[in-house]
Amino acid sequence: MKSLRQKLGRESVAGVLFTLPFTVGFLLFMIVPMGISLYYSFCDYNILSPPVFTGMKNFITMFKDATFFKALRVTFFFAFVSVPLKLVFALIVAMLLLENSRMSGFYRAAYYLPSIIGGSVAVSILWKRMFAMDGVINKLLGAIGIQTSFSWLGSTKTAIWVLILLVVWQFGSSMLIFLSSLKQVPQSLYEAAEVDGASGPAKFFRITLPLLTPTIFFNLVMQTINGFLAFTQCYIITQGKPMDSTLLYTVYMYQQSFEFHNTGYGAALAWMMLAVIGLITLFLFATKKFWVYDGGL
Amino acid sequence: MKKPIALLLAAAMTAGLSACGGSSEPAGTQAPASSAAGGETKEAQAPAAEGETQASQTPGEGAELVVAWWGNQVRNERTQAALDLYSEQNPGVTFDGQFSEWADYWNKLATAAAGHSMPDIIQQDYKYIQQYVSNDLLVDLTPYIEDGTIDVSNCNEDILNSGRIGDGIYAICNGINTPALLYNKTALDAAGITVKDNMTLDEFVALSKEIQEKTGYKTNLAYGNNEILAEYLLRADDIVMFEEDKLGGTAEDYVAYMKLYEDGIKEGWVIDAAVFAETTIGSVEQNPLVYGTSPETMSWCMCAYTNQLTAFRNAAPEGVEIGMTTWPSKDPAKSDYLKPSQFFSITKDSANPDEAAKVLNFITNSVDCNNILLGERGIPLSSAVAEAIAPNMDETSQEVIKFINEVVSPNSSQINPPAPDSASEVNNLINKLEEQVCYGQMSAEEAGKQLFEEGNAIMGSK
Repeated sequence: MKSLRQKLGRESVAGVLFTLPFTVGFLLFMIVPMGISLYYSFCDYNILSPPVFTGMKNFITMFKDATFFKALRVTFFFAFVSVPLKLVFALIVAMLLLENSRMSGFYRAAYYLPSIIGGSVAVSILWKRMFAMDGVINKLLGAIGIQTSFSWLGSTKTAIWVLILLVVWQFGSSMLIFLSSLKQVPQSLYEAAEVDGASGPAKFFRITLPLLTPTIFFNLVMQTINGFLAFTQCYIITQGKPMDSTLLYTVYMYQQSFEFHNTGYGAALAWMMLAVIGLITLFLFATKKFWVYDGGL
Repeated sequence: MKKPIALLLAAAMTAGLSACGGSSEPAGTQAPASSAAGGETKEAQAPAAEGETQASQTPGEGAELVVAWWGNQVRNERTQAALDLYSEQNPGVTFDGQFSEWADYWNKLATAAAGHSMPDIIQQDYKYIQQYVSNDLLVDLTPYIEDGTIDVSNCNEDILNSGRIGDGIYAICNGINTPALLYNKTALDAAGITVKDNMTLDEFVALSKEIQEKTGYKTNLAYGNNEILAEYLLRADDIVMFEEDKLGGTAEDYVAYMKLYEDGIKEGWVIDAAVFAETTIGSVEQNPLVYGTSPETMSWCMCAYTNQLTAFRNAAPEGVEIGMTTWPSKDPAKSDYLKPSQFFSITKDSANPDEAAKVLNFITNSVDCNNILLGERGIPLSSAVAEAIAPNMDETSQEVIKFINEVVSPNSSQINPPAPDSASEVNNLINKLEEQVCYGQMSAEEAGKQLFEEGNAIMGSK
């Protein structure tokens, strides 16, 4: 009995036990499905009948598939526009909320709310209605004197921006991370700067921003990955319409897998996306030494 | 080198974490539900994931049967009520009725098929039956028909055989249907325009222009669902659109179809494609025939089927009457057809196919059941049932029966054989090309040719 207790008491055993729920879940629901999908990516598989191994065929098809390149372009545009915008918003709001007032707790929660609900189907449907020809956006424009029945979702120029706006609106989690780092910036630095007669903008660009770069970097990497994986908004709101101008990569993957029953090809698309995200993440890390201040706070 | 690999792994994990959030549901039912923007949005999966997760279980003596269908508000209510009646008459049998919109229905069903968790009874369509039977997913109903569990003595042999693939009957037709052009009678009456049955395509185009000029209402040809109209028009020239491994006819035939859109957009009588970017295609309630705020963004007509008349009348705004006529064709006798509106099938995943067969018999032969359903899916297969419920049917259904019997039946030809698997990808191609024509990005000439070439390539490769 005692030896068992001693065994369990050892730190490594305790650690393993405590991480077991995650480890088992990760292996069963992540690694195993990933392995299966890797296998499917080399198969001709239509969901309904068993997969047939075809080697590299799916990957070769991809390079002849115009829609694949189109979806990739749309996704790059979507991610590289929405992520910086989102981070700028998050930072501005975090700076505003830094001041401690009686209401700041409420505001922080309020600005975080879209991050919790923003990915839901309900909000996507709401968004779709808001930007409809007879939706609230056009009504509001009418109220300020711009009478229009412009179809935001029907135009190839504006439809993607409706999606970008929805994603940017969900800046809450980046905002919270910024907020916590902002609080860690030592007051003494600002005091010293004031003594030297530094202005507000100077303080921001010379002290706050450099000290925030590690946080910006973290948010940038995480949000870029998330940006490439955005699905619900596009799936519910536009389905890639009009003319594939909003066809995000994940939605194309879904269409191939479950609508056209080219599930093997869909799996290949998924692995291609993994490679693309991996490369972009590597690239971001490679740029780190040029702009991220590593001195610590 | 170590660091990049670690990074890749980290990227893989993060990607995996958000992408595979849904796969903790049993056996691959709704994996792609949501890979939304990040870890903080896991809620997104909940609404989408409640699909076929509960496979059929058989608790004790009773049975819970999962029944799935696509449809509209009217159908959902009536079907649920009919199933409740069965539960009442057969204590111990309970139902879990699951309904979706058309497109979602097939995505969900295919995913459930992969996970071997299909519902016990599924609504099946002529378009997909071939695919499901060739992949061995449906139960052959012949034994149940032979031993009398499913009584077909009052059923029209030809229509019953539309559920026959090879040697087995895999689906029981639950209604007879024909194409029907539904139109906004109120708007047309106000402008003094009348619509006659068996219009030719030229007459239809002329009428559409006249309506646009007089009322402002535009025309929806078959946006997002072009294959049904294209196929219908080609039938007039004895062309079968979906042959076994190629598209029928020549490129010119498809150019002619796309030209309808091109001219319509140029001349201003075809509805703006932007309207469809805001609505769910396939939804009756959001169809521009009944949904919209101004004639500019609405259509005076819709290429639908007779069994959708009830739903469209229900979805129409107060005071708008919906009329019905045939789809346009230069030779309606060749183009028009009677169609099994849809079927019910029992899946191989059902734990209780015997009970499910009894339910199919109930739907086919019970007058009580059909007094609830009231021919919403089409005229009942059993002539005895059709006769018995006729007096109880509302005016709309009576009108449908009359339309089918008097207008279509004497002036129609046999339906095309079921389309092969690859048709769904070709359908997507037609709709994409048509969209490009509507947005003025492509000429009808290019679109028609591309459709014929790529469509043939898709069909030949499978």
